[in-house]
Amino acid sequence: MGQLVLAAASCDPAEEVICTPEFVNELFETQVVFSIGSFDVNRAMLLMLLAAFISVALLYFAFRTPRVVPTKFGVAVEGLVTFVRDEIAIGIIGPSGLAYFPYLLALFLFILIGNLFEVTPLINFPITSRMAVPIFLSLLTWLIFIVVGFAKNGFGYFTGVVWPTSVPIAMRPLVGLIEFISVFILRPITLAVRLFANLVAGHTMLSILLASGFIFLKSVGDIGIRSAIGLGWFGLGLGIYLFEIAVSFLQAYIFTLLAAVYIQSSVHPEH
Amino acid sequence: MEDISGALALIGYGLAAVGPGIGIGIVAGNAVQAMARQPEAAGMVRTTMFLGIAFTEALALIGFVLFFLA
Repeated sequence: MGQLVLAAASCDPAEEVICTPEFVNELFETQVVFSIGSFDVNRAMLLMLLAAFISVALLYFAFRTPRVVPTKFGVAVEGLVTFVRDEIAIGIIGPSGLAYFPYLLALFLFILIGNLFEVTPLINFPITSRMAVPIFLSLLTWLIFIVVGFAKNGFGYFTGVVWPTSVPIAMRPLVGLIEFISVFILRPITLAVRLFANLVAGHTMLSILLASGFIFLKSVGDIGIRSAIGLGWFGLGLGIYLFEIAVSFLQAYIFTLLAAVYIQSSVHPEH
Repeated sequence: MEDISGALALIGYGLAAVGPGIGIGIVAGNAVQAMARQPEAAGMVRTTMFLGIAFTEALALIGFVLFFLA
């Protein structure tokens, strides 16, 4: 986004109505940074590695040495970890949720850091806005909750979904079909699309507002006082910037929460 | 009459946003009511509210993605 905003300065609002600056497609076609043989490495891949590295380093440096009085940094990370453990893992799944806590914490930290790359200066690229990341994470969650369902309940897990005994017998084929589609097909898709679409929308909105504000402010010599409307766009862009920080946390929370709810529905399918 | 041009997908996205907009309003409004009546249950209500919002919002987001695909 940073590159896009700077490249937008080449646009001329006095002449062009529609302007496509360089890097306008950065969300869908990331530039190749370097190649190893025929294997291209692009910026998104490097950022994924960075996100994984940061989430490991965060936990390592916060809990490296056990202290009686933790540092401020330790307290902050501990707050996140206990939030995931108490509110999500144990709060949703129950006491047996502690077994899934490491997976949920890894999910939460990776998505949170990937989302926060959107508002990190000099990076400004949310890796979760590439469909590959959310679809992989949601397929992994899908695999886990199906395996857990079969492991805990045997084949009764599947029949419980497609032949729900809690509804009248005449309704069971219809409800079973709807449940089958929603549990085994729609769950992973909506889980991934929710994260992906939120981040794409936020990134697009930020790019458009900041780039157009920047174009107007740069061309104060050409169009005179009319460039003042650029101030409004830029201010709105900065407001959305703060909003996107909140969205990053909220979407990481919702993804982890839904993963926990899906696992819970496999552990205790009666509820 | 002049021809109307533009992306039909934009109208599709607008229509897709109507239902979830109403739905999220109902979910959030009722959650606020529940929290006001039963403040000690606020934590549980909030979790359930986020779940409800997430499920409702999915429809709008599918519309948003279709807008890009169209």
